[in-house]
Amino acid sequence: MLVVMKPHATQAQIDGVTARIRAMGFTPHAIPGSSRVAIGVTGNKAGIEVEAFADMDGVADAIRVTQPFKLVSREVKEEDTVIEVRGARLGGKAIAIMAGPCSVESEQQIVDTARAVKAAGATFLRGGAFKPRTSPYEFQGMAEEGLKLLALARKETGLPVVTEVMDVETLPMVAEYADVLQIGARNMQNYSLLKQLAGIQKPILLKRGPSATIKEWLMAAEYILAGGNYQVALCERGIRTFETMTRNTLDLNAVPVLKALTHLPVVVDPSHGIGIRAHVGAMARGAVACGADGIIVEVHPQPEKALSDGHQSLTPSQFGELVRQVAVIAGAVGRTV
Amino acid sequence: MFVTMKPHATQAEFDAVVEKIKALGLTPHPITGTERKVVAVIGHTGGMDPDDLFGTMPGVAEALRVSQPFKLVSREVKEEDTVIDVGGVPLGGQAIVIMAGPCSVESKDQILETAHAVKAAGACFLRGGAFKPRTSPYEFQGLREDGLKLLALAREQTGLKVVTEVKDTETLDMVASYADVLQIGARNMQNYSLLEKVGALDKPVLLKRGLSATIREWLMAAEYIVSKGNAKVALCERGIRTFETATRNTLDINAIPVLKALTHLPVIVDPSHGIGLRPHVPAIARAGIAAGADGLIIEVHPHPEKALSDGHQSLTPTEFGSLMRQVCVIAGAVGRPVFEPR
Repeated sequence: MLVVMKPHATQAQIDGVTARIRAMGFTPHAIPGSSRVAIGVTGNKAGIEVEAFADMDGVADAIRVTQPFKLVSREVKEEDTVIEVRGARLGGKAIAIMAGPCSVESEQQIVDTARAVKAAGATFLRGGAFKPRTSPYEFQGMAEEGLKLLALARKETGLPVVTEVMDVETLPMVAEYADVLQIGARNMQNYSLLKQLAGIQKPILLKRGPSATIKEWLMAAEYILAGGNYQVALCERGIRTFETMTRNTLDLNAVPVLKALTHLPVVVDPSHGIGIRAHVGAMARGAVACGADGIIVEVHPQPEKALSDGHQSLTPSQFGELVRQVAVIAGAVGRTV
Repeated sequence: MFVTMKPHATQAEFDAVVEKIKALGLTPHPITGTERKVVAVIGHTGGMDPDDLFGTMPGVAEALRVSQPFKLVSREVKEEDTVIDVGGVPLGGQAIVIMAGPCSVESKDQILETAHAVKAAGACFLRGGAFKPRTSPYEFQGLREDGLKLLALAREQTGLKVVTEVKDTETLDMVASYADVLQIGARNMQNYSLLEKVGALDKPVLLKRGLSATIREWLMAAEYIVSKGNAKVALCERGIRTFETATRNTLDINAIPVLKALTHLPVIVDPSHGIGLRPHVPAIARAGIAAGADGLIIEVHPHPEKALSDGHQSLTPTEFGSLMRQVCVIAGAVGRPVFEPR
């Protein structure tokens, strides 16, 4: 259910509606728009009668949301969500460029990479300190030491930090250092973790599960918004198919489909998506051409020596070339970098 | 195995290599469209040392094994992009080509109206099915030869080259007598009897990717055609089967850069079948061009809501015109022109 207020509804009228929603035992979510406020209702087990709000002052309309996902839906909020972090923007006209190594490995590695990607045009620094590796015998990340190095790299460059949180236990620690909390593909449906994120006022980058449908992914995002955290961006990173020549199959079809269904920013990860260094640039161009709001790219000063994902990481100079190509495509679709 | 001649090797030196290949009981396949003369060696070459056999012959630069299971379609054998001359229209190469038209030929008015509209918007090929491989046997199966005649009429009026599907070996000769490019549909990608027959013709072929075919299987299917003597093959990515249900198929844009690295054959993208949703066809078409595709094939119908097939994914001529403008801008951004019909 969505209660749409009239364009000039007063704060008192809005408060009246949210109070009535609470009195019914449900949760109100006031969603400010450019011309009017809408109030999403969640927590109701069955449909609510539209008449429950029709008679209230300031209410223009009360409508049912047809999709199973509500707060993330464009039906509920037409305008694109724009997330602002330390002066950088995620969503909106400018394409966000996130770059950095798969894993934080050392002070020199992360600071060198941060400086290089910033110089090439990146607006966010990525890097993992807690790594969900397929094999338990592989490098698992530097944990808090890695987070401290990310904070140091941020201090040196001013780039906001995107880093993954793997579990509820380490969430407070990661949130203390991160500017954007990444939920990895394997945790997309870790509902306990998603519910905890709701209480944290930090932007979330929610990666798509390797076999998650677009609907399941939007429902996972809904978990976070339903709990009260509206700063969520989605990240397409490739799905599991029968094709073996690429690491995953980057599903660019999801980009226009998502842009129609949801107001949340859509970021694309061509590095994990195709998993082949030589082809990351082509997929990044494709992503921006079909409407992505950002890209997240793995960059390592010496990919051949990387402790993880070296085969899909770009060198800083390859990344610089990618940013130039992406900027041209962005211009061709009426956007900026 | 393939043998590359030196830049100024003589015809006689080349002929000697070809003769030696034959003498070994193997089949020589001269590769055309390359700066230097190259001849591929097809047959059981296991245990043979290419350098021992050909390395010392006059005019030979090098003789190497092809590491991939696909040989003639591989970039190892032919580095230069294949450009297929379709009656003056280059399929492949620097310029991007646009193929457009209805899913099925339905009537004279429908195909002529569409052909004139897509030509005005910048298409250089007219697509349209006369033999339709429909999932349900109860659905419209196409106008058959009447449809082919209407396509020929549309070609006569507009000058557009005709791309149309051939479904089986029985109708191949008939379809080939009307078509400029023979399309092998996704369901026939591994119909090897049909591939071999098409390989024996001197007619360009558009080979669609099977619904669950890996890139390697697809290239091996192309190899069937080229190994029979028909080198005029273009590949068409049209979406693969995944678990996702929000789209008709999952258009695999990843295949474009992967193919462009592995093969010299032109790569065309079908966003209409790929995503299967009219509002999203332009977005995924832009992505295809940005990722390096050599062309697009788009379903256009003057009245999509009345189409006998695929109406939900067909663009109106106006929508197609808008798509063409977007494609030209993206093509420019990747440094390529869009081929303009005369």
